[in-house]
Amino acid sequence: MLTQIAVSLNSIANPIGQVLLAPIEWLPGWLSATLIGVVTGVLMLVVFKYTSNQSAIKRTRDQIKANMLALSLFKDDLGVSLRSQGRLLTGALRLILHALIPLAVLMIPMILILGQMSLWYQARPLRIGEESVVTVQLADESTDAVQAITLNTNDAVEVIAGPVRVSSKNMVCWKVMPIRDGQHQLEFKIGGETSLKEFVVGGAFEPTSQKRPAWDWNEVVMHPRETPFAPDSIVQSIEVTYPQRDALTAGTNNWVIYWFVISMVAAFVAKPFLNVNL
Amino acid sequence: MVAVISTTGVLGYIGPGAGFALAGSFLAIFAAIVSALMMVMFWPVRRLFRLLFKKSPPKKPRFKRVVVLGLDGLDYGLTSRLLNEGKLPNLARLRDTGNLNPLASTLPPISPVAWSSFQTGVNPGKHNIFDFLRPDEKTYRPKLSSVEIRSGKKSIGYGPLKFRFPTSDVRMLRKSKPFWSVLSDYGIFNCVIRVPITFPPEKLRGVQLSAMCVPDLRGTQGTFSQYTTREKSEGEKTGGEVHYVNRNDDTVECELLGPPNPNKPDAGDMRLPFTVSITGQQSATLTINGTQHSLKQGEYTDWISVKFRTGFRSNVLGVCRFMLLSTDSQFDLYVTPIHIDPEHPAMAIGYPKVYPIYLAKQQGPYATLGLAEDTWGLSEEVLEDQHFLQQCSDIDIEREAMFFDGLEKVPEGFCVCVFDGTDRMQHMFWRYLDESHPARPAKVPTAFATAIEDLYGRMDDLVGRTMAKCDDDDTLLMVLSDHGFNTFRRCIDLNRWLEENGYLVVNDDERNKDYLAGVDWSKTRAFAIGLTGIFVNRAGKFDHGIVAPEDAAELRDEIAAKLRDLVDPNSDAKAIKSVYQAVKAYRGPYKENAPDLIVGYAGGYRVSWDSAVGRTNTTIFSDNTKAWSGDHCVDPSVVPGVLFANHEIVTTHPRLLDIAPTVLEMFGCPVPDYMDGRVLEVGDRKAVDLSAQETELEVA
Repeated sequence: MLTQIAVSLNSIANPIGQVLLAPIEWLPGWLSATLIGVVTGVLMLVVFKYTSNQSAIKRTRDQIKANMLALSLFKDDLGVSLRSQGRLLTGALRLILHALIPLAVLMIPMILILGQMSLWYQARPLRIGEESVVTVQLADESTDAVQAITLNTNDAVEVIAGPVRVSSKNMVCWKVMPIRDGQHQLEFKIGGETSLKEFVVGGAFEPTSQKRPAWDWNEVVMHPRETPFAPDSIVQSIEVTYPQRDALTAGTNNWVIYWFVISMVAAFVAKPFLNVNL
Repeated sequence: MVAVISTTGVLGYIGPGAGFALAGSFLAIFAAIVSALMMVMFWPVRRLFRLLFKKSPPKKPRFKRVVVLGLDGLDYGLTSRLLNEGKLPNLARLRDTGNLNPLASTLPPISPVAWSSFQTGVNPGKHNIFDFLRPDEKTYRPKLSSVEIRSGKKSIGYGPLKFRFPTSDVRMLRKSKPFWSVLSDYGIFNCVIRVPITFPPEKLRGVQLSAMCVPDLRGTQGTFSQYTTREKSEGEKTGGEVHYVNRNDDTVECELLGPPNPNKPDAGDMRLPFTVSITGQQSATLTINGTQHSLKQGEYTDWISVKFRTGFRSNVLGVCRFMLLSTDSQFDLYVTPIHIDPEHPAMAIGYPKVYPIYLAKQQGPYATLGLAEDTWGLSEEVLEDQHFLQQCSDIDIEREAMFFDGLEKVPEGFCVCVFDGTDRMQHMFWRYLDESHPARPAKVPTAFATAIEDLYGRMDDLVGRTMAKCDDDDTLLMVLSDHGFNTFRRCIDLNRWLEENGYLVVNDDERNKDYLAGVDWSKTRAFAIGLTGIFVNRAGKFDHGIVAPEDAAELRDEIAAKLRDLVDPNSDAKAIKSVYQAVKAYRGPYKENAPDLIVGYAGGYRVSWDSAVGRTNTTIFSDNTKAWSGDHCVDPSVVPGVLFANHEIVTTHPRLLDIAPTVLEMFGCPVPDYMDGRVLEVGDRKAVDLSAQETELEVA
């Protein structure tokens, strides 16, 4: 059920992401990451404003500030101070409660946005001549399939080594080398069944799906671009090892931290103009 | 952040809004836990430090806590009557656990003088407050007696990089030292809420919120605004401004007047445009500072924050309340004076500076103006009785929240809070109590027939709630008033009397000018200004003084003797009970600043409205037909206040002056020699049989 929902949401998010994030391809990485951070930060702030109880948040915030001030104003009496501490804590907990609804509302779009962004920033496409490992994970009950599966070569990729068949893990690996730029498909055959996996070679910024996932919602969320394999499919997932992107703002793993910081700063700057209580 | 960094994926983050909220909450929790731990760890060290190095009272304190609840103007006579009628059950209980005494006020018995004596324990000759107003020695124009606000400029930098910026210098003119300063010296914590004449706030150990003389945002003592589509009429409204506006279909464009721009002093007052869109017969929408508020006829809005832009990213903030008065044939809108925003105060209105902010965060915006209740709005017939009543009641609720917070936060130490709605309400509603009052309408509205009794009842409830929070042997609770109240039926024009008796000369065509502008100073030997004082126009004191100092005493005797015989031709009653000479009535270094003569009016009389602001009429006596129908600017013996305590006050004839030394004594602190008050003997708390009390009330 969850996986089906995730697949449906991805089917909406993918074409939108394709269009909206297209400028990443021709913008410098730092600029596109910054712009996305700013826009999403402000948008999320607006969503927060209209999905939260703003007056209750303001009241709670004021109460928290009052109790903080009380700690310095009435510090003579330990009992009074501890009571203020207690109220400070309950105020903070109330604030968390007030954030739950916007949190629930924001969570899904945020996951989708971040999933789309990860396609662009988490890995770099392979360059011609750059070796990579392709791993096919097969279903548990298909020990014969480990021996049977083949990778059809084409004019875009050359198999350097393999297949290495690890029966104990139902896993088969190939070492491959791209020989032509472009968005290609790797074709795997097992019996009469054909399984495909995107294989990206070339440009600095292109949507790069590292894995065609199994029928698992967690995997589907993390790898939104390609349709997951059906639950009864012999092939469970196919993963291509892409190189890491070295950049502070739009590099592997760094992009999410940079985006977090930029979106927070943008929201913080926009807060007084949009009159939002956080 | 940790969550984000630690996850390989992107699921740890849910957007900056909720992210901020969660981060903020966790930060608050973290801060609370850390500070609690620090507090518990360092508390014994701090106690020890205080014990070893700080001054402590030389005697053992009698009480851990002293609480004073000030009910401005609560009258002894009326309170006694209502007590006898069983209408004040809580005050009766308080009286029975301790006692009730008439509390002698000051000369004159008016709030600035009386509360100054309350806080300092000295007579006016030592604290320098003799009235609300005092004349300027150069211009004779009246000025506030308790505070002086001067604007100036400060500069930083050098040469072409020298930047000037406007500043205001607020100076307290009350002299001597409040007793809470003495308590502070001995390490006793104080919570002083809205005691008159505490502006500008002074340093103390504890917290303080200033009251009387705190100006509004425009720097006045309270200027309301009325916006109307009526035809322009002659004459000004005292204490307010009328703005004549046009209605275009259902929209009225208005401007709220603010303070002068400190960066452009020549540009006049700042203006904040706002729009009122009439949406129904009795409703409208107000748009101001980009926010919308709904208006309903006859109902106040909540406090609305108003922002006057003084420059890039710099504003002056105030709060005010709006009330739609009429939308039918004419549009009428009332706006309260713009109070200094307690959350972003434009000047210090409390000590420490964050205390007013703390209160605003704790309970929301509140009235900060010294005289918060808009008596002029009612007197000038812009407001109706119920509007004024609502204002007083709302302000009382705000004040109660502050007071009870203070009681909770000060389990040991001194806590005082003054409620002055009692004074304002009695001023404005006495005409419904006094059947012979000239301002009493032929048919008294049922809702207001017992307005003052109801007010006393509400205060009784407040006392009940206060008692519940002070119900222990370690707390001395005193409920007191600075003076009582009396009817104000007849006005006496003191300047006219002086004129008729040859002491003052007025140019006839300038008779109606304010601030003594029509007086011929070269021929004037004495003049009146303010509520109770007559000044001798002494050479050397005033710029145009003509009375030689050696002749002043004789002139004072002469005027006092004649004035004592003043008889009201309407009733043949003596209008003046006594005339006091400052040189004899006061002791202390500032008695020279006092009016030479202080007039003790008989009950029912008071200085006329015109005379108080320096105009001179053509008759001495006139009826008071204003809503301001009760007063206390009479002889002190006519208007004693009340002193209730939850422990018996054994000393007879207590005075307001005695409270300061008594509180010091209760905390074991020495009473300074300069104090004129004496220490009242405080006895024990009597056990009260509540069941018997209830039976007694039922009988009553």
